[in-house]
Amino acid sequence: MRILLVLVLLLLAALFYAWESPIDPVTPPEADAFSAAAVARGEALAGAGNCATCHTVSGGAPYAGGRPMATGFGTVHATNITPHPEDGIGRWSEEAFVRAMREGVRRDGAHLFPAFPYTHFAHTSDDDLAALYAYFMTRQPVAGGVPDNTLPFPLNVRLLQAGWKLLYFDGGGDVSDPGRDDVWNRGAYLAEGLGHCGACHTPRNALGAERGDAAYAGAVIDDWYAPALTSANGAPLPWTRDELFAYLRQGATDLHGVAAGSMSAVVHDGLARLPDSDIEALAVYFADLAGAPERIEPAAVRDAMAGLDADHTGRALYAYACESCHYNAPGAPRALRPELTLNSAVTGPDPTNFLRLTLAGLGVGEGHPAAFMHGYAGALTDADIVAIARYLRGPAAAEAAGWRDLDARLAELRTALEARP
Amino acid sequence: MNKFAHWQQQARPATRLTRRGFLIGAAGAGVTLAFLPEGQAAATDPDAAAAAGVFEPTIWYDIDGDGIVTVNIAEAEMGQHVGSALARIVAEELEADWSRVRIRYADSDPKWGLMVTGGSWSVWQNFVPLSRAGAAGRMALLEAGARLLGTSADRCTARNGEIRAGNRAVGYGEIVRRGGLGRTYSADELEAMPIKPPSERRLIGSSFDALDVPAKTNGAARYGIDARVDGMLYGRPLLPPTRYGAVVNGIDDGGARDVPGYVKTIALEDPSGTVPGWVVVLAESYGAALAASRRVSVDWTPGKTAGVGEADLIEEGRRLVNAPDGGSMVVDDDGVQAAFDGAAETLEAEYTTATALHFQMEPLNALAYQAEDGRWEIHTGNQWQSLILPVLAEALEVPEDRIVMRTYLLGGGFGRRLNGDYAVPAALAAKAEGRPVKLVLTREDDVRFDSVRSASVQRLRAAFDADGAVTGFEHHAAAGWPTLIMAPGFMPKGVNDEPYDPFAIQGAVHWYALPHRLRAITNALANDTFRPGWLRSVGAGWVNWALESFMDELARSRGADPVQFRLDRLLAEGDNAGSAPNAVGGAARQANVLRRLRERLAADGPPPADTGIGIATTYGQERAMPTWTACAARVHVDRNTGKVTCRKLTLVIDCGTVIHPDGALAQAEGAALWGLSLALHEGAAFEAGQVRDTNLDRYTPLRMSDVPELDIELVDSTEAPVGMGEPATTVVGPAIGNAIFDAVGVRLRHLPIRADAVRAGLASV
Amino acid sequence: MSKFTLNGNPVEVQVPDDTPLLWVIRDDLGATGTKFGCGIGMCGACTVHLNGRAIRSCITRVGDVAGADIVTIEGLDPAGEHPLQKAWIETQAPQCGYCQSGQIMQAATLLADFPDPTDADIDAVMNGNLCRCMAYPRIRRAIKLAARELRAGREAEA
Ligand code: FES
Ligand code: FES
Repeated sequence: MRILLVLVLLLLAALFYAWESPIDPVTPPEADAFSAAAVARGEALAGAGNCATCHTVSGGAPYAGGRPMATGFGTVHATNITPHPEDGIGRWSEEAFVRAMREGVRRDGAHLFPAFPYTHFAHTSDDDLAALYAYFMTRQPVAGGVPDNTLPFPLNVRLLQAGWKLLYFDGGGDVSDPGRDDVWNRGAYLAEGLGHCGACHTPRNALGAERGDAAYAGAVIDDWYAPALTSANGAPLPWTRDELFAYLRQGATDLHGVAAGSMSAVVHDGLARLPDSDIEALAVYFADLAGAPERIEPAAVRDAMAGLDADHTGRALYAYACESCHYNAPGAPRALRPELTLNSAVTGPDPTNFLRLTLAGLGVGEGHPAAFMHGYAGALTDADIVAIARYLRGPAAAEAAGWRDLDARLAELRTALEARP
Repeated sequence: MNKFAHWQQQARPATRLTRRGFLIGAAGAGVTLAFLPEGQAAATDPDAAAAAGVFEPTIWYDIDGDGIVTVNIAEAEMGQHVGSALARIVAEELEADWSRVRIRYADSDPKWGLMVTGGSWSVWQNFVPLSRAGAAGRMALLEAGARLLGTSADRCTARNGEIRAGNRAVGYGEIVRRGGLGRTYSADELEAMPIKPPSERRLIGSSFDALDVPAKTNGAARYGIDARVDGMLYGRPLLPPTRYGAVVNGIDDGGARDVPGYVKTIALEDPSGTVPGWVVVLAESYGAALAASRRVSVDWTPGKTAGVGEADLIEEGRRLVNAPDGGSMVVDDDGVQAAFDGAAETLEAEYTTATALHFQMEPLNALAYQAEDGRWEIHTGNQWQSLILPVLAEALEVPEDRIVMRTYLLGGGFGRRLNGDYAVPAALAAKAEGRPVKLVLTREDDVRFDSVRSASVQRLRAAFDADGAVTGFEHHAAAGWPTLIMAPGFMPKGVNDEPYDPFAIQGAVHWYALPHRLRAITNALANDTFRPGWLRSVGAGWVNWALESFMDELARSRGADPVQFRLDRLLAEGDNAGSAPNAVGGAARQANVLRRLRERLAADGPPPADTGIGIATTYGQERAMPTWTACAARVHVDRNTGKVTCRKLTLVIDCGTVIHPDGALAQAEGAALWGLSLALHEGAAFEAGQVRDTNLDRYTPLRMSDVPELDIELVDSTEAPVGMGEPATTVVGPAIGNAIFDAVGVRLRHLPIRADAVRAGLASV
Repeated sequence: MSKFTLNGNPVEVQVPDDTPLLWVIRDDLGATGTKFGCGIGMCGACTVHLNGRAIRSCITRVGDVAGADIVTIEGLDPAGEHPLQKAWIETQAPQCGYCQSGQIMQAATLLADFPDPTDADIDAVMNGNLCRCMAYPRIRRAIKLAARELRAGREAEA
């Protein structure tokens, strides 16, 4: 009896803690309620936050939501964030918007799932949030709800998110380091805040929270591998500031390859709206994070490109199916001819990106702006693709756990890609 | 029933144009020049003559009022620039202005006689008649031109499209325009027609651009796969599990019905028995046919060869060559038996070759429909119209003269399109649907039912006397026989009166002074499992693998130099003395190319470690049309991996008069590289009754990076022009095998040569 | 439905997005210079340019080229006198010719990336283009010839 009473009290306390009150709806503000400057700034910031990637289905209206995101727990659908009064956020006041961004709470008081990275957005300044609000409230309202999420009970109980927050949400705040210069701090602000880079590049724990002990250590998310952004990156040639800049600016680099999938969208739809100075700031921040060298010596490039086994069974397949696009003269890799001996998709610890790109290719406008790759899903057999992978990967395949059971991963990805629209 | 029996008389196509008259006369806006059949000399009007069917068989050209000379080409153009070479022969004697010479590819018509392009015969069989045709035209133009110039023909010369007398000239176009050009030459007159001595040739043997090349650089060239007609359906076949004997039990196309453009799937009823068990998926576009075909399932009962694998084919061949009886004795010199009976020593070896694919670049296809007038139109690239027309007639159940085959460029022939089987399913589908059907095989379809070069097994033996001299030589060769299956009328009989497929043994009737016994045996299991095909250089492409490797073994076993060992036996004596007009010089000319090869090699210097030089020499394909060929391969062997790399091929070829030197060289380059590809890079295999590797991810023909240095000499000659399309293919395989032995002492007896066989050999030396 | 430009002309086709571009070009748009060889991206006969770079049209879904510029052999040069085409005639490279549209289109990308190609460059970039007639020695020669022409042209301009 006593125990029951304690439990009930605890539950009530929890409920009290978890309960968030609704914020009253407002009449959607007129477009001229915001300054053009604020809207323009908001547009750039929405790019930095890469909002469109999640909140737009491919081929759909911008920000109208609906994009499914496979989490380890089920599929969550991004919401409609156009200012539509019923289906979007048209009736949200700025206060409600800021609360959502900083606390992960909906206008009606319900908790948002951390698939929405408020844990990062919480680092955003008041001014920037105001500009973002101005931007979103001046978008074209689009009617239309989004499909229901497929989280199983009890994970779908939003109230339980309060407990999650208690465990994993530090409440945001300023990330600047007074010991660093402005450029570094700008990079940190963008990366840790709106940019929410860790949401993909940091592995998550069993409850889906980013692991503080493994920040930027690399992770598989939504059937892409987001590589490590620390010194653990392990690419044959380390990333430099210039490489990072080239990658974030044009979507491809000579020494590492292209941005594919959602990272391509980050670069081409999101970061494209930021000035060079912000891209430079991000490059400086991550170069520092990874302890990047200033430059790569040409001899190192040449060495890193050498050494594929000419007698490997995958050699002929690669030579006839791939090399006409991917070949580079020794020591002279170029972004437009992605050099696969250096490429992160090949050299990383996880084969997902390589297999997926080989199967599905890279669309026009993805990765390098001038490149296109057709997928080989209907052309090459699993055995062919595995042979090419092993050829390119070399003896290192045996060491990297992810590259051992390629057949199984390939089969999984084939199924997953076929199921995609 | 032998439905091809009527070809038996035509089995020597080279002679088909002898004893013919020649007719020149107005036709339309120009003048037509044509051969007349034997005994016909009266006709004067080409149109009437054609209508009366007296152009049969014939080859002709015409000249229009602008002086444009258009030569009809009844041969298939598949990369050999055959039209250009044939037109050049006409133009040489006609003294035509080459810039005004055109070619016109002919559709099938009985007036062309036997329509077949293969065996490297085209130039050889047409050279004399076309030269005479050109000369006849020149004579008529000289006479008519002289009249117009008011002088006599003997005061005129013909040159560069004009008749000239002093400083006056009249062009061929004007002569035609002003009329009165008509003439008939009897067979005797034609035979007496003065043909230029080689020293006066202006066009033959000089370099020129092939007429078919420009359209092959800008997308304008039209191949069978480009054929189209309004309202046509596209079809993709679904192939049964076995080439013969499969029965369709049911078709489930439920999954295909929602593919936009899908029409239906039909099982073909084939009275000709060419495509038993074939099913065709029809749609409004090929894309739809492909998409739908992946969603149709067919339930077949396979034929009896469903379990046959490559090893079974080889095993059967081995059984056949080891059995003392069976097959056709092609050569049986006196004293061979005695030589073996009394031999002090013998040497014996077995050679095998794997199944080989044509893999011509353009997958098989055909468009078929019934025209308004009820005639059947078949649009496709084909090498042997005369072979498939009767089959189409049987399939469509119409007389042969109700079918016409329209001519297109071939995206590679190599013998695959000698077998026109692929036209049959298109015709049957069109008939069943009452609509035009364009059938296109996917690459995988094409490979699965390729008319492959059969796997082969050969056993060779030599007898030595007590002094170590070779006293007897025997050679037994077993393989699937294309000619038995598709054109048995072309099979001559051996000395034991048994018929044999000449295209499955020629090349082995060598010109060495060695008492010789040669037996050809058909492999029935192969014939049943697939439809054996003629593949570039046919029998000579694989019998020489055994013959020229074994010659090397013999030489080495005697401690002799492989070149000298051969030269000592290439003596122009007796059977090997040669004969006019085609084989003048006989073995002496083979010895000559070998000697020239040795001279060329001297410049190379000795090979470095693990690199060897191997020699092979052949007479091309036919003793009646020998192309004397010698080859040296310089080959490196990687002792760790067993990988063989060919660094250089040196060839000396004597093909008599060369019409189109650059074209001949291109053929030699391509043929030599084919030989290399077959030796090191290809090699197919049957598995469960089917070709195992059906596309380029598993079948790996030679590519750009595999090309060695090539050094090719065409011997300067004014002898009869013989074939150039294939001979270089025959020498490369054995030269490489011999070079590997020279490099590392490993004797390889199976083609293709694989690294693991080399490694195994290295481990056992 | 898909819209793109073919040899400079805007085109629109009503076919499922997953239809291979090759068949759309050949059958729906009637440009038959582009050939079908293997259907798995390993022979190069179907090579066309997408936004200026060689791709294999047999394994490219038409839905994926929406908005792109596609150029086929027919559109490489308005008069068919691209330096590569001239070099192909000069060296008499084609035999059956079936592979040659693809060879030329691939060679154009080769020369864009390697204006002065070494033999190794040619091997690597052209290995994906099978020539069953084995006209490789002449294709190599033609590429070098065209490269010289193009370089001379550029120097003359500079
Ligand atoms: S047909 Fe496209 S690469 Fe072969
Ligand atoms: S020219 Fe025939 S395939 Fe290349």
